[in-house]
Amino acid sequence: MEEKEKKKHHAKHSGPKAEKKRKRHLNDLGIGEEEDARKRNPKAFTVQSAVRMARTFHRTQDLKTKKHHIPVVDRTPLEPPPVVVVVVGPPKVGKSTLIKCLIKNFTRQKLVEIRGPVTIVSGKKRRLTIIECGCDVNMMIDLAKVADLVLMLIDASFGFEMETFEFLNICQVHGFPKIMGILTHLDTFKNNKQLKKTKKRLKHRFWTEVYPGAKLFYLSGMVHGEYQKQEIHNLGRFISVMKFRPLTWQTSHPYVLADRMEDLTNPEDIRINPKCDRKISLYGYLRGAYLKNKSQIHMPGVGDFTVSDVSFLPDPCALPEQQKKRSLSEKEKLIYAPLSGVGGIVYDKDAVYIDLGGSHAHENEEEEMRPNHELLQSLISTHSAIDTKMASSKVSLFMDSRPLGSEDVGQEIVMPKEERQIDLKTGRVRRKALFDEEEKKENDDAVSDEEDDQEEEEAMSEDGSNGDDEEDSEEESGEELLEAEMAPGSAKRLKTEVAKEETVSELPAFADSEDDLEMSSEEGQAASEENETEEDDDGDDDEQRTYGNESSDSEFEAASKGTVESEQNELVSEDKEMRSELSVRSLKKKLLLTTDSGNCTAEEASESEVESLSEGDDEEKSQDELEAEVSDRKGFQPKQAGRTGLHAELEVVEADDDVENLLREEEEYEEKIDFSADTAGALKWKEDLTQKAAQAFLRQQQATPNLRKLIYGTAVEDEDREGEDAGDELGGLFHVSRPDKESKQKANGLDCSKFLVEKPQDWDLEEVMSSIRDCFVTGKWEEDKDAAKLLEEDEELYGDFEDLETGVVHKGRPTTEGDESENEEKNDGKKSKPEAEEEEAKKERLEKKRKLKEMFDAEYDEGDATYFDDLKEEMHKQAQLNRAEFEDQDDETRVQYEGFRPGMYVRIEIENVPCEFVLNFDPHYPIILGGLGNSEGNVGYVQLRLKKHRWYKKILKTRDPLILSLGWRRFQTIPMFYIEDHNGRHRLLKYTPQHMHCGATFWGPITPQGTGFLAVQSVCGTTPDFRIAATGVVLDLDKSITVVKKLKLTGFPFKIFKNTSFIKGMFNSQLEVAKFEGAAIRTVSGIRGQIKKALRAPAGAFRATFEDKLLMSDIVFVRTWYPVSIPKFYNPVTSLLKPAGEKDSWRGMRTTGQLRHDRGIKLKQNKDSLYKPIVREKRHFNKLHIPKALQKALPFKNKPKNLEKKGKTPKDQWRPAVIREPHEKKISALLNALSTVNNYKIKKAKVKHRQQIKEYVKVKQKEEEQKLKRQKEAKKKIYRILGQREKKRQKSSLKGSSEGGKSV
Amino acid sequence: MAGGGGAQCLSYAGCNFLRQRLVLSTLSGRPLKIRKIRAKEEDPGLRDFEACFIRLIDKVTNGSRIEINQTGTTLYYQPGLLYGGSLEHDCSPSRSIGYYLESLLCLAPFMKHPLKIVLRGVTNDQVDPSVDVLKATALPLLKKFGIDGESLEIKINRRGMPPKGGGEILFACPVRKVLQPIQFTDPGKIKRIRGTAYSVRVSPQMANRMVESARSVLNKFLPDIYIYTDHMKGISSGNPCRRICNSMGRKDEFPFPHWWCMSISTAAVLPYSASPGFGICLIAETINGTILSAELASNPQGQGAAVLPEELGQNCAKLLLEEIYRGGCVDSTNQSLALLLMTLGQQDVSKVLLGPLSPYTIEFLRHLRSFFQIMFKIEMKSPEEERKGGEKVLMTCVGIGFSNLSKTIR
Repeated sequence: MEEKEKKKHHAKHSGPKAEKKRKRHLNDLGIGEEEDARKRNPKAFTVQSAVRMARTFHRTQDLKTKKHHIPVVDRTPLEPPPVVVVVVGPPKVGKSTLIKCLIKNFTRQKLVEIRGPVTIVSGKKRRLTIIECGCDVNMMIDLAKVADLVLMLIDASFGFEMETFEFLNICQVHGFPKIMGILTHLDTFKNNKQLKKTKKRLKHRFWTEVYPGAKLFYLSGMVHGEYQKQEIHNLGRFISVMKFRPLTWQTSHPYVLADRMEDLTNPEDIRINPKCDRKISLYGYLRGAYLKNKSQIHMPGVGDFTVSDVSFLPDPCALPEQQKKRSLSEKEKLIYAPLSGVGGIVYDKDAVYIDLGGSHAHENEEEEMRPNHELLQSLISTHSAIDTKMASSKVSLFMDSRPLGSEDVGQEIVMPKEERQIDLKTGRVRRKALFDEEEKKENDDAVSDEEDDQEEEEAMSEDGSNGDDEEDSEEESGEELLEAEMAPGSAKRLKTEVAKEETVSELPAFADSEDDLEMSSEEGQAASEENETEEDDDGDDDEQRTYGNESSDSEFEAASKGTVESEQNELVSEDKEMRSELSVRSLKKKLLLTTDSGNCTAEEASESEVESLSEGDDEEKSQDELEAEVSDRKGFQPKQAGRTGLHAELEVVEADDDVENLLREEEEYEEKIDFSADTAGALKWKEDLTQKAAQAFLRQQQATPNLRKLIYGTAVEDEDREGEDAGDELGGLFHVSRPDKESKQKANGLDCSKFLVEKPQDWDLEEVMSSIRDCFVTGKWEEDKDAAKLLEEDEELYGDFEDLETGVVHKGRPTTEGDESENEEKNDGKKSKPEAEEEEAKKERLEKKRKLKEMFDAEYDEGDATYFDDLKEEMHKQAQLNRAEFEDQDDETRVQYEGFRPGMYVRIEIENVPCEFVLNFDPHYPIILGGLGNSEGNVGYVQLRLKKHRWYKKILKTRDPLILSLGWRRFQTIPMFYIEDHNGRHRLLKYTPQHMHCGATFWGPITPQGTGFLAVQSVCGTTPDFRIAATGVVLDLDKSITVVKKLKLTGFPFKIFKNTSFIKGMFNSQLEVAKFEGAAIRTVSGIRGQIKKALRAPAGAFRATFEDKLLMSDIVFVRTWYPVSIPKFYNPVTSLLKPAGEKDSWRGMRTTGQLRHDRGIKLKQNKDSLYKPIVREKRHFNKLHIPKALQKALPFKNKPKNLEKKGKTPKDQWRPAVIREPHEKKISALLNALSTVNNYKIKKAKVKHRQQIKEYVKVKQKEEEQKLKRQKEAKKKIYRILGQREKKRQKSSLKGSSEGGKSV
Repeated sequence: MAGGGGAQCLSYAGCNFLRQRLVLSTLSGRPLKIRKIRAKEEDPGLRDFEACFIRLIDKVTNGSRIEINQTGTTLYYQPGLLYGGSLEHDCSPSRSIGYYLESLLCLAPFMKHPLKIVLRGVTNDQVDPSVDVLKATALPLLKKFGIDGESLEIKINRRGMPPKGGGEILFACPVRKVLQPIQFTDPGKIKRIRGTAYSVRVSPQMANRMVESARSVLNKFLPDIYIYTDHMKGISSGNPCRRICNSMGRKDEFPFPHWWCMSISTAAVLPYSASPGFGICLIAETINGTILSAELASNPQGQGAAVLPEELGQNCAKLLLEEIYRGGCVDSTNQSLALLLMTLGQQDVSKVLLGPLSPYTIEFLRHLRSFFQIMFKIEMKSPEEERKGGEKVLMTCVGIGFSNLSKTIR
């Protein structure tokens, strides 16, 4: 028993044991150690052929470089917008189910119905916007343009359908997004083998379309109407780790896939005219590039619009805050789909979702999160709140109003908003209302008056000054400084009284319409303070207002006159004193530095002051501090102070003083007016103006006391002024022509780019000269660039070395450390502490190390660095700079510089939208706002390279309307096809070639070169055939066209000389002929010629010469090229304006063929064009006649010989005819018969004889053979005997050698 | 057509900054309307040099529509596509060629075919930047943006002084599809000063005298100074021929045939000949490739008092020092060009350090905003050292991602 169970031994064939054994075996053989064949057998791997080596090298290099892409700057934003996932496929394939499952997978929420895009948070760093794409071509085209990832659903039980291929082709044209195939309906296969085969077949077909190895997912079956959880989970994982390549069109254009639409039209307008153009706002994540306000956009399916307003909103579906967690918590798994009724807006009455909650909740969170810098934070947060409130309140209104009916909602619109904003004060509410409605009419009277005046004044002064006019800026800067010093102080003061009762989280920054230009944090703060004071002024505290006005006013006067007036309070006087002090001090400096440095030094000063003031927002900040600060500043900016001093004291110098004096006289003129107004009080309104100008400056400079305001701020006012100007009327009849010379002068001034130096400095003075000493290489260098210094450092690094030959050790300067420390000690006694020293030393060491490392790196890396690497490095640097440049700024300011950056959730207002868009709104259809680049909104001639799609069944005809999808647009146009001839001529084609590219030109929107396009014949309905008619790319844009068409003009000879003929019928007048003189002409038979000159009669006839004589039957023609005109037909496809459910039924212009078909008109064919059987007459040609002379000259062999006729035989040589007698006839007949018999006999005998000979030959042959045989035998016998004899002889010779020798 | 369709028309009043507006309109593709051009003046409407400029714009573009009302006080301009090619243009002598060339510099890189244009007129005058200065400053600036190559050049064939002109230059510029962004914030230290002292139809000694005096001022700062003297005479000094006379509207005045005055220069043509004058332009070049310039020219013949060449040279040197004091990486005349090219870059951050902004530049910035919706980040930078001149302005912007729509791809 035991023996049976024992296992037989098996030798191991694999595993470590077998390996070991094999090794041992090999070792025994002596080849075990060298495993590498190259080492073992080096001869087999040597260079066999240098050429081949070079070729292989080239090939590897080619393959290597093929992998390279041209590096591009990485412009993806830090917080990217959600990835657009388009789920596409034929109907009933399971698209909606898949979306629902995906949403459920990511968010644990179940959506009942999906309308429009759904945005979800899928991971810590990724969000998805999922949208379903039906099989309407319009929708497919639009979504292919915005998709980042395409989930292509394929019904495996059916196989591929046309929609799938169509969508793939659309994608290919508009940049190829990532595509993932998903096979569904796999549970219909009962047979496992068949399933496998189908999978494989579909996979390979898919790979040929996309790329080999493209991911294809299998969804095996449904469980309770959903896909299997694990499979969906896997799919989700794939989606959320997928990487995307940047597509050219998408990265160079901003676009928004709108997920929410609101109608903002005034309900009253709609009531009056239900078909009036609407004003709508659209919401969505901005993608692609930066979007600028007021830029042009295109809405595919609707048309071109100009953005009337853009604002960014807090992210409704924000990514979770940074945290080190592996997965998202339930709270962070957000979903946002307003069109489906999720995320912020109520669609149903039994709403589970909170109306307007999202944005506000968000804002509260923000506030809670950052409690630190209260003032700043509150300002910012409220700031954003206004946006949201504004947006959301409008929204809520319309969302409500739509179901309710819009008549009585009008009042309610305003109310909730107002309620929200009325917090403590009444005055504030009005301002907000003002801002919300963006109308100045409803403004507070006082404010409006004041502001108007300000504007006027500013416009006066600043219009006159061209941008940064010297006088102006000069005056301004004077005031600015005063006010910058003064006003915050006063503001502060006012604030101490009021600020307690008002929470700072008001929205003051928006009160001033000028201020919305920009709001950097500190500026905003400054503005807020100022505004608060202002509001106080307006609202409750009249006294203070007057005080403020007066003080600033008096300030102004003081600035101009240099007198301190009595009504000023202590603050002012204090300031005054201080300033005068400053001025006295700095006067000396002023004398030295007679010019100021530029436009805005003073503004800078004020800015910095305001900054410093606003930073310390404690209410206890006293005037002492202010004073201290100002006095500090003295040291810091003596020049400015000096300037103000001068302004205060020497008003006369003022005008001449400034540097940039473009129009000096005008300013002087203006100044005079001001002064006269002040002194004489002749013109009251002007006096007022000066005061108000002062106030204006106070405000303006406090708000944004910098150059930017100067440049960009006044531009707005310029325009305002224009309007005012027009409004001035006297008695409704006459326009008052104001002598505001300066503005006129500016408008019509000298257009010159030179920046003249008005008051040159005295460059002979040593001080002046020294001010630019360091601009030259001879001057002092910076620490890190000074050659001497660098040398010294190098010495420190490389100082120590040992000379190996001599053995001498060189030391670097050993005393450097000590020296430096000593120096330091000398420099500042404070740092004499040993710790500091140590730190210093450590720093130095570190520095040294870093430098060494850098040097090493540089040396080491140099070998590898290629052009490509350099380029990449450069791009990387640029990308980093792009990210870093505006990072520290808050969004409001950033938006001004960059535009709205991708990733932001924006609200875009658009006006003049056709009412059908709103009335027929269908959330299932995607609404895309595609930004247009410069002049992409214009139209012109566009040249394309076009190829008919190989799957499209017909060829395309010139002048048939075609629907193109190009850029963002879909439009119908009339293309003309052409082909380029070898000489560069564009020849018109009637039809597209079958399998070739051809050119096409059409009139339509200008789109950058290199953009792909596709063409379809119609977008309506469905056809079983493939719908994409052609694809191609834009080559050129122009305003004129070069396509020509061949035109043959025919004529007939009416007189023929030798080689000259007169031709008629080709032209109609002498003039026409003159135009074509020298043109090449040809006959149909191929005789070439030239037009010479016109004949007098008949009209249009001309003389022409040819290379041969013409026949009268010849037709002469000239080939000309006639430029073709292209119909200016550009018709955007407005499919979104169609009623819901009919959106795929847009029909544009019909082709002639369609029209004929629809109307049942038969084509009447030209009879001449019909084919008839060709009947050719037999032609008779005359014999070839060679002239005698020629014949003579010919060589004998070529002379016609046989053809020579014999001469006539003379009569006498004629032979007489023989006529036989009957008897003779008989005889001859008998003879004939006899000879026949005889002939027969002879023939027979011949045959017999031949037979006999044959037999004889046979017999003879036999005999011969026998004879040969006998002879052979005889020979054999003889040879045998001979052989025997020979043997015998040999034997005998061997016996007796001597004998043998003798015998021989 | 549904929706708005077509870019909005911009409207301005007054003829000032006409060039800027036309150039920006052409580049942005937005139509432009300018009203009230000298409407209240005794001689209303466009001047001859403006008309000449508009004609030039018409020449370099294809398909642009220009409408001017009868008095010339209103101008409507609908831009076409920039075409380029080999062209000739006779500039009105009331402004120098620099007036026209400045705008061409802005447009030339964005043509369909590389621009190669011969401009005739006044090469140097007191108002506009001269051709010499533009050649020395603007071309290196273009190179920084990636517009370079052999074909980028300005060649002065003849000099012509106001009021009669007669100069001729050749400007050629290659075409680019996109521009590179620049980071140009360190001007570096001035390593050498070069310059040209020219004299036209005056004693060649004038140039030498100017050079001497200019050197005397500048030598206090730098030893490496070399100022070329350029004496033009005969045909290259703007000797007029019939063509030029024709262009100036004096068709019948000039009795000699074209070939004759091309070949000869005698006293016979003097009454008809171009104007005399002299001037100097100075160029300071830093180790980082920043180029600053200054120039002065003598008063035109018969206008103002005669100027001593010594004085002129000295003043010009001082102007250069003034320019150095202002500083920046781009000299004051080319500020707007640099800003424009930054704007038209790809969507990347560009930075440039400028001296104080000139009024022209400030207006240009405003125009940039209205045409391209672009705002610059403007930061004041006071030099960290005391002896490096006045305050500087750091201009930063993100390019609009402009691409040359005219260029054909094959």
